[in-house]
Amino acid sequence: MLFNSVEYLIFLPLIFIIYWIVAKFNNLKIQNGLILTASYIFYGLWDWRFLFLILASTIVDYFVGLAIHKKQTQGDKGKLFLWLSILFNVSLLGFFKYYNFFVDAFVDMVLLFGYPIQSTWTLNIILPVGISFYTFQTMSYSLDIYFKRIKPTHNFLDFATFVAFFPQLVAGPIERASNLLGQITNKRSFKYEQAVEGLKLILWGLFKKMVIADGIAPMVDDIFANYDTMPASTLVLGVSLFSFQVYGDFSGYSDIAIGTAKLFGIELMSNFKFPNFSRNVAEYWQRWHISLSTWFRHYLYIPLGGSRVSRLKSIRNICIIFLVSGFWHGANWTFIFWGGFHALAYIPVFLMGRNTIYKNNVVAENTLFPTFKEIGQLFATFVIVTFSRIFFRSESLTDSFVFIKRLFTEFHWEPYHHPMGYRMIDYFVLLAIFVLYEFRMRRDERNPFKFKSPIIRFVAYTLVIFCILLFYDDGVDRSFIYFQF
Amino acid sequence: MIKLFLKTSLYLILIVLSLELLVRVFHLYPEDSPRFIDEMGVEKRIPNYNGFSVTGNRRQNFSEYHINNQGFNSYREFTPSYSKKELAIIGDSYIQGFHQNYYNSIGKKIENRTKDLEVYEYGYAGWDLADQLHLLQAYAEDFDKIDHIVIYMKYPMDLGRATYEPNTGRIKQLNSIPFKIRDNIKLLYYASQIGFLDPVKNLMTEKQDAKKASNTEQETALDSLYIGNFDELLKVYPINTTKTSILLDKRNTSPKFLEHCTEKGIDIIDFGSEFEQSKKPVTLIYDMHWNNNGRSLVAKSIIEHLGL
Repeated sequence: MLFNSVEYLIFLPLIFIIYWIVAKFNNLKIQNGLILTASYIFYGLWDWRFLFLILASTIVDYFVGLAIHKKQTQGDKGKLFLWLSILFNVSLLGFFKYYNFFVDAFVDMVLLFGYPIQSTWTLNIILPVGISFYTFQTMSYSLDIYFKRIKPTHNFLDFATFVAFFPQLVAGPIERASNLLGQITNKRSFKYEQAVEGLKLILWGLFKKMVIADGIAPMVDDIFANYDTMPASTLVLGVSLFSFQVYGDFSGYSDIAIGTAKLFGIELMSNFKFPNFSRNVAEYWQRWHISLSTWFRHYLYIPLGGSRVSRLKSIRNICIIFLVSGFWHGANWTFIFWGGFHALAYIPVFLMGRNTIYKNNVVAENTLFPTFKEIGQLFATFVIVTFSRIFFRSESLTDSFVFIKRLFTEFHWEPYHHPMGYRMIDYFVLLAIFVLYEFRMRRDERNPFKFKSPIIRFVAYTLVIFCILLFYDDGVDRSFIYFQF
Repeated sequence: MIKLFLKTSLYLILIVLSLELLVRVFHLYPEDSPRFIDEMGVEKRIPNYNGFSVTGNRRQNFSEYHINNQGFNSYREFTPSYSKKELAIIGDSYIQGFHQNYYNSIGKKIENRTKDLEVYEYGYAGWDLADQLHLLQAYAEDFDKIDHIVIYMKYPMDLGRATYEPNTGRIKQLNSIPFKIRDNIKLLYYASQIGFLDPVKNLMTEKQDAKKASNTEQETALDSLYIGNFDELLKVYPINTTKTSILLDKRNTSPKFLEHCTEKGIDIIDFGSEFEQSKKPVTLIYDMHWNNNGRSLVAKSIIEHLGL
C-alpha cells in the first residue's frame, strides 16, 4: 500500500480512530496488537507471501536478543548469537537482493580470464519491498543488546510491532530500538498538538512526493532514456532535476512516515535535514538519509575504529562505509561507484578537518540570507552531489560513463522540450519557490508550516493542496524510488 | 480527539471552498456545451453557445469554441449550395475540435491553404460511424449540395454497431443529477478531468474493468465482425463513393478492413504517415486529441490527397 494511494487514505483514518478508541481501555497489548495487525495488512496488501520474511526476521532477532542477554548475564559476550542474527539477516538480503548480482559478477570475472560460460544460475527473484530497511532495524536491535546499549524485551508482541511498525516498515527511517521500542513498550496517550504536527508533516510529504518528485519525473525519465542523443545542457538539466526528484520522493516519504507515526503518539527520528543546503559533502551526509548514515556510523564505522585510528585507517574506514552504503542501495555496480565517488569527495573534507564543523548549525544561521561564500559552498556541494547521481540513476556503468562523456564533449545549449510538450517554465518556477520555501524553514525540518498567523497557515495549506491539483499527473508511476532498495 | 476531528473538518471545508474559488478564478475547469437530439434524430449541441474548453492541469490547453446555428463547433455557418465549392468533414471529438480555438480548426487550416473553398465541420464527441452515416441521410439535402465529404473513422472503435439508434441514454446521463453536480462544482469537474479521481473510480470498478478488457480483447480479434457492421451500415446508409472519402490512420487500422474498402471502391485518406514523420508531438498533453501540429498535418493530408 502506498502512502499516496486511495487505499491509504481510507486505511489511515480507520486505524487512527480504532487505535485511539482502543487506547481508552488502557490496554497496551490491544493497542500494539492493532498496530501490528495494521502493519501486516499494510505490507500484506503489497505481497502477503513476504510477510513470512518479516516474521522470520522478527522471531530470529527476538530470540537472539534474549540469548545474547542471557549469555552476558553468564559472563559470556554472546558473540555466537550476534553472528547468528547477522548471518540470518545478511543471508536474507544476500539471497533476495544480491544473489543475481553475485552470479553475474562471477560470470563476468570468469570471462575476464578467458572462460566464457553461459550462466543458468540466475533466478527470477522478486525483491521484497523494504527488506533492506527492516533487516537493518532488527540487526541493530541485536547489535545494541550485544554492545549493552539496551536490554532485550521479553514481550514478543512489542518486538514484532517495533519491527513491522507500518509508517517506517518499507522505507525507513531505520529506527534503533533505543528510540522506537521504548515508545512501543510504554503507554501512549493522545496529544492534540502531536497529531496536528503529524497531519502537517503528512501534507508536506505529500506535496514533496506528488508535486516535486512526480511532477518532474517525466522529464527525468525522458532525459535518462534518451541521453545518448541529447546535448550536455539537457543532461545537466536532467541530472539536476533528478536530484530534486529523489530528494522530494524520499524525504517526502520520510515526512509522511514521521507524520503518520505522530498520529499514533510515536516520534520517529528525522531522516532529512535539508541536504540541499549543505556547505560540504560531510554536512550533506549529516543531512541526507540520516537514519542510514547513523546506522553505518554506529555499527560499522565506529567498530572499525572510526576516525580515532591512524589517518590511513580512517580513510580506509571512510571508503568501506561509503562503498557498503552504495552497495546497500542496490545490486548494481552503479551504486558501488556512487558510494566510491562520495568517499572520494568526503576524504579531502576529512583531511582538512572540516567534516564536523557544520554539525550543529545551518547555513545563514543567524541571518536572513547566506553570504556569497556560503552560496558558493552550497552550489559546489550541490554540483558534486548531483554529479554523483549520474551513477545513481543510470541503468549501467556504461550508461553512466557515456552520460559523463557527453557532458564534457557535447557541450552546447539547446532548449529542452519534453515529447509530450510539458511546459518547462512551470517546473522551474515551482522548484525555485520550493527551494526558497525550504530555505526559510531550514532550521526546523519538523515544522513545515511555521507561521504565527493562522490565516497565513491556512493560505499555505490551501496553496500546497492547490499545487497538488495543479501538478497531478495521472500518467506517472506513483511508487517511491527507495522501495526498490 | 474530538477537537482534532472538528478542527480538521472545518479546515477541510474551508480549504475545499478556497480551492473551488481558485479553480474558478483561474478558469481551470472545462465548459461542456449542452447537447440534444434534434427532430431528425441527430445528436448534437444546442446552437449558438460559446464557451471554453480546458485540457490538462494548469490550463495546458485552453481554447474557445463556438456552436453555430446548426449545432456544431465552427467558425462559420453551414450554407451549402450548388454554386459554391464545399467540403464536409464528419467525425467525433477529433473533428469537433474543442481542443483548439474554433477559428483555427482543421477546416479553417484547409480554407487558409486553398481558394474559394468552404469547409463544414460536422463534429460531435462520441459519434461513431453509425451516427455519421445517419447524419448523411438525415441531412441528405444539404450533403447533396456539398462537393466532397470526408468521414473520419477510428478502427475498430467506430464500428461497434451495425444499426443506428439515437443515444438517448447519454443525453439522459449528462442531464442526470450527479453530472449536474459535477458540472456545477468546478473543483470536482477539474479533478475529474485531470484524472485525480481515477484512483477512486478504479477502486470501485476494478472488477468490472477487468471484464471489459477481456471482452475488448476478444472483440479486437474479430475483424470480420467489424467489417460485417461496416457492410450492414452501408446497406442502410449507402454512400456516394465518387465524392466520399474515409479519413483514418492506417497504422492503427486492420489491413483486412483497408482491403475491404479498396474492393468496395471507397477512397482512403491516410494521415498516419504524416504523423509518423513528424518530429514534433501530434497530440496534446494528458489527452490523445490532436494538437495544433497534429491538426495541421491532418489538414495537409486532406488537401494533398484530394488535390484541393
